[in-house]
Amino acid sequence: MSAAAGAAALSGESYLTDGFSLRSWLLTTDHKRIAILYLASITVFFFIGAAGAALVRYNLIVPEGLIKSAETYNRLFTMHGVVMVWFFLVPAVPVTLGNFIVPLMLGARDLAFPKLNLVSWYLFMLGGAIVLYSLFTGGVDTGWTFYTPLTTQYSKGHVVATVIGIFIAGFSSIATGLNFIVSIHRLRAPGMTWFRMPVFLWSLYATSVILVLATPVLAMTLVLLAFERIFHIGVFDPTLGGDPLLFQHLFWFYSHPAVYIMILPGFGIVSEIVPAFSRKPLFGYTFVVWASIGIAVISFLVWGHHMFVAGTSLFSALVFSILSYMVAVPSAIKVFNWIGTLHKGFIRFDAPMLYALGFIGLFTMGGLTGLFVAALAADVHLTQTYFVVAHFHYVMVGGMVSAFFAGLHYWWPKITGRHYPEMWGRAGALIIFIGFHLTFFPQFILGYLGMPRRYHSYAPEFQVLNVLSSAGTTILAAGYLLPLGYLTWSLLRGERAAPNPWDATGLEWQTPSPPPTENFVATPVVTEEPYAYPRPKPQATS
Amino acid sequence: MSDAALPHAFQYESARHQARTAIAGMWLFLASEVLFFGVLFLSWIVCRHWNQAGFDAGARQTALAIGTLNTVILITSSAFYTAGVAFIEASNTRRLIQCCALAWVLGLAFLILKFGIEWHEDLARHLFPGPRFAITGELRTGAQLFFVFYFVATALHGLHLLAGLGLVGWIIRRAGRGEFSAQYSTPVAVVGLYWSFVDMVWIVLFPLIYLIGRGP
Amino acid sequence: MSPRRLLLTWGLLLGVLAIEVGASFLPIGRPARPLLLLPALLMVGMVAAIFMQIGRGPTVVRLFAAAGLLWLLILLALGSLDPLTRIVYPVPAMERATPAANPP
Repeated sequence: MSAAAGAAALSGESYLTDGFSLRSWLLTTDHKRIAILYLASITVFFFIGAAGAALVRYNLIVPEGLIKSAETYNRLFTMHGVVMVWFFLVPAVPVTLGNFIVPLMLGARDLAFPKLNLVSWYLFMLGGAIVLYSLFTGGVDTGWTFYTPLTTQYSKGHVVATVIGIFIAGFSSIATGLNFIVSIHRLRAPGMTWFRMPVFLWSLYATSVILVLATPVLAMTLVLLAFERIFHIGVFDPTLGGDPLLFQHLFWFYSHPAVYIMILPGFGIVSEIVPAFSRKPLFGYTFVVWASIGIAVISFLVWGHHMFVAGTSLFSALVFSILSYMVAVPSAIKVFNWIGTLHKGFIRFDAPMLYALGFIGLFTMGGLTGLFVAALAADVHLTQTYFVVAHFHYVMVGGMVSAFFAGLHYWWPKITGRHYPEMWGRAGALIIFIGFHLTFFPQFILGYLGMPRRYHSYAPEFQVLNVLSSAGTTILAAGYLLPLGYLTWSLLRGERAAPNPWDATGLEWQTPSPPPTENFVATPVVTEEPYAYPRPKPQATS
Repeated sequence: MSDAALPHAFQYESARHQARTAIAGMWLFLASEVLFFGVLFLSWIVCRHWNQAGFDAGARQTALAIGTLNTVILITSSAFYTAGVAFIEASNTRRLIQCCALAWVLGLAFLILKFGIEWHEDLARHLFPGPRFAITGELRTGAQLFFVFYFVATALHGLHLLAGLGLVGWIIRRAGRGEFSAQYSTPVAVVGLYWSFVDMVWIVLFPLIYLIGRGP
Repeated sequence: MSPRRLLLTWGLLLGVLAIEVGASFLPIGRPARPLLLLPALLMVGMVAAIFMQIGRGPTVVRLFAAAGLLWLLILLALGSLDPLTRIVYPVPAMERATPAANPP
């Protein structure tokens, strides 16, 4: 195997050299090239969304707000939320790393429906273009949640245009999820039984279940929202017999599982990296697998916890509170299993591992504070404060973005055929970890003390913590710009990568880096469990 | 002829593997569609719950005769298409085209009845929600909500049907070029699933729109 | 599929439809009228089984269909849990109609 792979790598034939014209990229159906198209697109969206965040933090340096208009401030945080949620966090891992790695891990030559895969990128770009157009020509001041009746009656922004953009991008999500589910069911290599699949595949399977079954609910909800805004009558208008809480129910039916769309792929990445850099099989593989599926299902049963103070019935609030506690169980199982894998492992602190360990720490904090807000009584105090902001940023930004970088560094040699500079990678991981805590930990305290979110100004006694948070943003920004710099540099100057630089298991490492267009010269056959890392004898290390 | 000899995309083992995967993919898409329409069903439940009398009063304004006729038309269209699938599995392209053409014409008839006649009358009777809405008094609120549901649901179903007409037309064209046979009829079967699904959605919408509100 | 089976299914579907429409004229009370959906659900099952031949494709087809139904059930059940158990306290000063103004 390695001889053949080495020969192919030497001859330089890869998906990157298979055609150089713009057309060969824009009309490609190769999952690897589509992953690259997506990677470039979401990087742009990430920095647009991050610019929104930076301006929000800039405004909050002084209590009365450095941006004079509250209206502008509202539009800024809405832009940050909309772009980050729908055009970075939800698609980020599935469409980039997922698109690239899933067929390779399956031992397949492509996804089940390559043309659909390309269509999904075009839908994504179309939706993104519409949203960016509406955000830059005036924007929306409703927050990313689009609550009615603010959106349907009072907001003066481009609500309908933004909603149409999100609607279109939603179908790109559905297409990706559908492709993954069908591919995992139908295109596994010989010998790749369900329980020989790496956890990354299981995680993306669970993610795709949510993508396929939750996104259409958002789509129809947005149709009803647009109808109501255009015709001034609809099912969400309380003055005309409708129920504004129905909108919130439908919105969170999508948006709560969407949180797990963002985090489940991260679980998968970390479950690949921790065994590879501990040189041990994943501890409790079966538990991790079932925890992924469990999260995908239970995540649909908890959305009501976003509405505890919205006036829902006490009975339904109790039901949703109890169900919300249940979703913590599979998440905790995973954290325990990663720690169990580290236990007595031979740990190497390469950049992917540093990012992954950062993920575990940040996610644990984000997850545990989730229990506070899932508790009915505590939530009444904490909801709509910076505590909630800090909680979900620990999960989505701290957790998910760390996991994304972990995966990006881990598979970077496979994707590009080049190594990133290791010391810079480690520095980036560390800077992001520190900058993140400095930015968001003060927000837990601010929220607990009662600072409400989404306000343009605040009480003077909160200034010290707010300045700390804004200062942290600058470190975080440096931490995010750093990988952009050194990863781009490595494309041209990085050291050439061997087919399996980490000495990791998984079929994606059994093909040259970068892989040839057809992925595998001969269809691989799987004969063993995943993460079959040899256990070195104790005396070998002494 | 051996199965492996049939052309298929390079990620599949065989043409049969590819065909069955395409069928599975369409079913998953339909599962997604179920949730899409599910939102409308939930809105129906919630809106009717808050405004039962008015909501039902709105439903009584609908044209039951056209609705029932349309249901018959769609069921028949779906049956014709299914016959077409059976014919092509026996390599009978001529019959496939005839069946698809009948299914297509019936689909068009549905659209004409629904949007050309029924919607036209509804609009003429001021049943579109808004300031000029026909029903006044206590029942107005609920009746308006019913017609929000009615217009959104029938419009979206109509769009699905229109897409279906495009797909069935595409099948007819390809069949006319002799592209399908007993060995290769995957697109025919996949479009058939979609066509029957559109029928299914209407079968559920029919009582929600025309029957349940028509009470004493 | 045999022509007889197809014809029979078509006839049965129209028969159930006739029963459904006929039953809608019966004096059924308002709370019980959503039961008129039952014949429709039967028809949906027939379309899936005979027209769409759900039994013929790979096993995963049944899995996908079941998932669609299960998640629809989650949406409808948990989605209506709150509206059906919510107590809305009337606001006397409200002039326009509200949900509270027309309690079920």
